[in-house]
Amino acid sequence: MKIGVLALQGSFAEHVATLRRLGVEAVEVRLPSQLEDLDGLIIPGGESTTIGKLLDSYGFLEQLRPRISAGFPVYGTCAGLILLARDVGGLDQPLLATMDLVVDRNAYGRQIDSFEADVPIAGIGSEPFHAIFIRAPKIKAVGPDVEVLGTHSDGGIVAARQGNLLVSAFHPELTDDSRFHQYFVDLCAANREARARRASVGSHE
Amino acid sequence: DPARRAKAIVKAVTHFNDPAILAEVSKGLGEPMRGLEIGAIKKEELLAGRGW
Repeated sequence: MKIGVLALQGSFAEHVATLRRLGVEAVEVRLPSQLEDLDGLIIPGGESTTIGKLLDSYGFLEQLRPRISAGFPVYGTCAGLILLARDVGGLDQPLLATMDLVVDRNAYGRQIDSFEADVPIAGIGSEPFHAIFIRAPKIKAVGPDVEVLGTHSDGGIVAARQGNLLVSAFHPELTDDSRFHQYFVDLCAANREARARRASVGSHE
Repeated sequence: DPARRAKAIVKAVTHFNDPAILAEVSKGLGEPMRGLEIGAIKKEELLAGRGW
């Protein structure tokens, strides 16, 4: 299995390191042609407007959106979450806009308002996740097909899943806790198996 | 053209390991910002002496 990490800007090195710790083949992605044989993609934390503009200028948007509609797994952390959301409050920035989320950017304030908190996350075990929030966004609203995985004590949704799309407002790649990455790896593996089954069924017709 | 050069810098940093892209973005950037030799600057315009 091979998972890509979008390496245009941001915390891509940390995500690659976490995936490799889990024994997964991880590759840095800087051009759409590198998306071809991937089982999933992580969009790292960083500066979402920058990543969005680079996605746009290198032709990623037209390639990624149809693949996502067809079931390609994507995990977005922080800036990645923003890029996946369909609504970021009317700000003029390029978005993938494929996940039914309404998001508030920099919802907790400026750099000095960054914080860490223990958040229980569904699907990764009973031990809360020690989450690092850096100028984090808040998910204000989710569509009917979105599963909420974690909520901060102030009520803000901090992790969610919509089918093959996973997001977190915090940065697991900056900690040693690889459970959330494992959750995404498992999602990609299940997706890969489903594709293989569909392909083999097709060949029997 | 500073804007063009700035865009080229961003792309060059992003694709630092792609020689084809590096070559492409380095074309047609015109002259870089010229340096100014200290001896050629008027005394009143040296930073150390400016202001109050």
